[in-house]
Amino acid sequence: MKSLLLRSFLLVGLLLSAVAPVASAAAANQKLVVAMLPKAKGNAYFISCKAGAEKAAKELGVELLFDGPTDSNAAKQNEIVENWITLGVDVIVAACENKEGISTALRKAQKQGIKVVTYDADALPDSRSFFVNQATPEGIGYTLMDEAARLMNDEGEFDIITASLTASNQQEWTKYIKARLAEKYPKIKLAGERPCDDMKDKAQSEATAMMSANPNLKLIMAICSPGVPGAAEAVKQAGKTGKVKVIGLGLPNENKRYVHEGVTDSVILWNTMDLGYLSIYAGVAVAKNELKAGATSFKAGSLGTFEIKGDNILLGKPFIFNKANIDQFDF
Amino acid sequence: MRSPAPTSTWKSVLFSHEGILLLVLVAEWVFFYHFGTSINRRGIVVGFGTVDRQFDILRHSCEIGLLALALTPIILTAGIDLSVGSLLGLCAILFGMFWHDYGMSIPLAAAGALLVGLLGGSLNAVLITRLRLPPLIVTLGTYSLFRGLAEAITHGAVTYTDFPASFLFLGQERWHGLPTQAWVFFAVAALMGLLVHRTTFGRSFRAIGFSPEGSRYAGLPVERRLAMVYVIAGLVSALAGLIYTARLGQAKADAGTGYELFAITAVVLGGTSIFGGVGSVTGTLLGVAAIAVLKNGLACLPAVMRMNGAEELSGMLTGALLLVALAGSVLPKYLSNWRASRHSARSQPQTPSAA
Amino acid sequence: MNRYFRELSVAGALALLLAMLAIVAPAFYQPQPLLSLATREAPTLVVACGMTLVIICREIDISVGSQFSVCSVGAGLLAAHGWPPALVALAALFFGAVLGAFNGFLVAVLRLPSIVVTLATMVSLRQGLNLLQQGEFVNLPDSLQWFGLPQSDGQWTLVASALVLLAVFAVALRHLAAGRFVYAVGSDTEAARLAGVSPQGVKFSVFVLMGVLTGLAATMNIIQSPQVQPLSGSGLELKVIAAVVVGGVAISGGRGSVWGMFVGLLLLACVSPALTHLHIEAYWEKAIQGTIILLAVVGDGLRGRKGGG
Repeated sequence: MKSLLLRSFLLVGLLLSAVAPVASAAAANQKLVVAMLPKAKGNAYFISCKAGAEKAAKELGVELLFDGPTDSNAAKQNEIVENWITLGVDVIVAACENKEGISTALRKAQKQGIKVVTYDADALPDSRSFFVNQATPEGIGYTLMDEAARLMNDEGEFDIITASLTASNQQEWTKYIKARLAEKYPKIKLAGERPCDDMKDKAQSEATAMMSANPNLKLIMAICSPGVPGAAEAVKQAGKTGKVKVIGLGLPNENKRYVHEGVTDSVILWNTMDLGYLSIYAGVAVAKNELKAGATSFKAGSLGTFEIKGDNILLGKPFIFNKANIDQFDF
Repeated sequence: MRSPAPTSTWKSVLFSHEGILLLVLVAEWVFFYHFGTSINRRGIVVGFGTVDRQFDILRHSCEIGLLALALTPIILTAGIDLSVGSLLGLCAILFGMFWHDYGMSIPLAAAGALLVGLLGGSLNAVLITRLRLPPLIVTLGTYSLFRGLAEAITHGAVTYTDFPASFLFLGQERWHGLPTQAWVFFAVAALMGLLVHRTTFGRSFRAIGFSPEGSRYAGLPVERRLAMVYVIAGLVSALAGLIYTARLGQAKADAGTGYELFAITAVVLGGTSIFGGVGSVTGTLLGVAAIAVLKNGLACLPAVMRMNGAEELSGMLTGALLLVALAGSVLPKYLSNWRASRHSARSQPQTPSAA
Repeated sequence: MNRYFRELSVAGALALLLAMLAIVAPAFYQPQPLLSLATREAPTLVVACGMTLVIICREIDISVGSQFSVCSVGAGLLAAHGWPPALVALAALFFGAVLGAFNGFLVAVLRLPSIVVTLATMVSLRQGLNLLQQGEFVNLPDSLQWFGLPQSDGQWTLVASALVLLAVFAVALRHLAAGRFVYAVGSDTEAARLAGVSPQGVKFSVFVLMGVLTGLAATMNIIQSPQVQPLSGSGLELKVIAAVVVGGVAISGGRGSVWGMFVGLLLLACVSPALTHLHIEAYWEKAIQGTIILLAVVGDGLRGRKGGG
């Protein structure tokens, strides 16, 4: 075995001396390289962010790299960021699954001259220049709770369907939903919370069980995007359209039919295409030194001007899709 | 035919499973070095061929590498352990819990986590050796149970973070030039290699895998040896859990999800037969390296990056590589059978024994 | 009695659970939700029938989840392009057969270990699907849902079909020669071969059948809702293998029945809705399922049977 290893090392040495790294086409090409990291690239939410980002990249004439774990995975996110650091990209635009874990990698990137901007879910403030905030978790949680209360007439019981028990975004939102509930709606009770593991079919089963276990159930709140059509289908198949309301965080295209059939009342989201678009503009502006710390507003291409609070660029309030407006959107 | 290893001639070593795997490893390394390295606009060499990147590959492979090392003796005995990934997660969160909620010092909490790993491995060991239950089913149950306990203890929600820098050093910094966890990994690899190949204790694993009944008749304490490999696996899983936590800076209930499959792939790719009796620690190390280089190398290719398909392609190629390796290991048998049947055209037809 | 002790004890556990629900949470026993639950689980039952055969002949197939996803998405895409429902169903069966044949060829003809082969195909198929579909939902035409039947009829048809299939397998395994061959190959391959059965032929057929059943299950799944999620089917292999094992089918081959599997499936499938009805937190689910698997198997060991076979 030893002699084999020695021989192989010699072989490798020979090969290496004969092989030279490919001179990069990028050396001649002056395009900025922006690398965008979603939490989960399979998630439709981030796919639509990507659509907006691609539009921005085309307008700005930069090259966009988009890669992320298939399912939310902090460890894989770290690996991808490390990839990009050694690749020498110019800007990293990241939605962070785990605040602390990824900040180490992002700080390392910054040290090498790579600009970092976060979106959707922040990292630690010293590891990025700006955070493009679609809304604070507080805003999201409060909007969800307020909308639910409105539909329930301020009393009754509701259930939450979440992504997985370990999903950090959902945990934050739930925290604020419960806070708002305790603060403003004494006559409403949160009866239960079940995960659907980002699977529409599982959400359907869970919703069916919830309705069966709790005849007083008035509303199901699905805070992960596959959960909304899943819960809606369950309500429809149980024949409880109108009796059990469905709201959630989801994408227009997946929910159009249920909104029109009156099963789902409101789908809350941000215009995720705008989120992607704004994030890329912000990242490129930081790289070109056009956007500096202390700025109070930022103009992003065709979207207009956005307010900056501290180091948070605010996209704006959550947007509520309902029967009246959902057909205007295609993502 | 599972015969003992032939004496090392040039040819036999080169064409052994490990030899071919080493060639594959070198070939893919050279391929990615050539196509995955470039000079970026700032004039710096970036990509696969940089020292940074190589160390990253090393750093990210340690946890799965440890699990693969733990699985090698198990698979040698014709067993399997599907629960190593879940046990990694359970030990990681218990480590966080001991340190954060119970105020133990880091070393004490780590010792606690290792103890939990021992206990988890012992549970597998008892069920498999005392009750003579099939390892596949037992570890399928503990795969769910350990992960379930991790989720139940943390309610899925609790994440332990803010570990002191002295602990994070284990996962995120370098020591004497190499990533810190690499030293741990190499140490465990050396120990495992010694155990499996140089001690009579370890050499009995192959015998047990080849024929448990025969080994029992030969006087080997089969049950005790089997129990040991599962207990050791538990300990190593806990160690991997500590390294995972140090690398990410957080301990969560989903730590290590899916790792067992990678680890098993690495072991089998390395030439250890799932039926037991054949295999080596060197093979496992080569298997881990081959998969790690493949995964990271693909991510460095510009075409792959544009497709956003690094993870998917590496998964598909690893699956294909595994199948080719398996088919390849069966090929010599077919060739020799075919040659034998041609040579003995006149002799009695012999029914080849079942694979 | 002794012969079926294993299956009966699992049935006993199930009865105990159902009794507890009847007393503490009678809301569990409403007809419509139970029908919906049964309809959701019908595809799993179909796949589990196939897995029972695979495990009886001493192999394993952990790629069924990925096969299920591929067949679902494939059939869904065809439907979205306007193919009629009957052809869509046939296409799903065909995809399943092809995938099963691939596994079968590697396991039966090349004699490669099934756990590793199906591990490789599981990962390759899942990642290939991810690459192509990028997680996007497939929208189905309205005419495909319940094959155009009203919802209630559709649900009863699905549940009844799954149960009929179960009964057919039960009878076939016991009374058809082909069924006996499966047991024979699982108990003792050499003896089977000497008796004139071709183990390779039997194993290949079992894997192809597994694929076809997975395709059938995929069809049964996509007609239940107007969208297909590529991720659906993830984790199916674990669910199904757990059901088969809890139901008394020995992993060492040659022993077990589909009725046992059925009871095992019911028991494991009831855990989640039971937790909801009993208002127990969701994070206990995995721990409970793992414990059920271990208890079922430990029971075997304590009775002195070597791992049930």
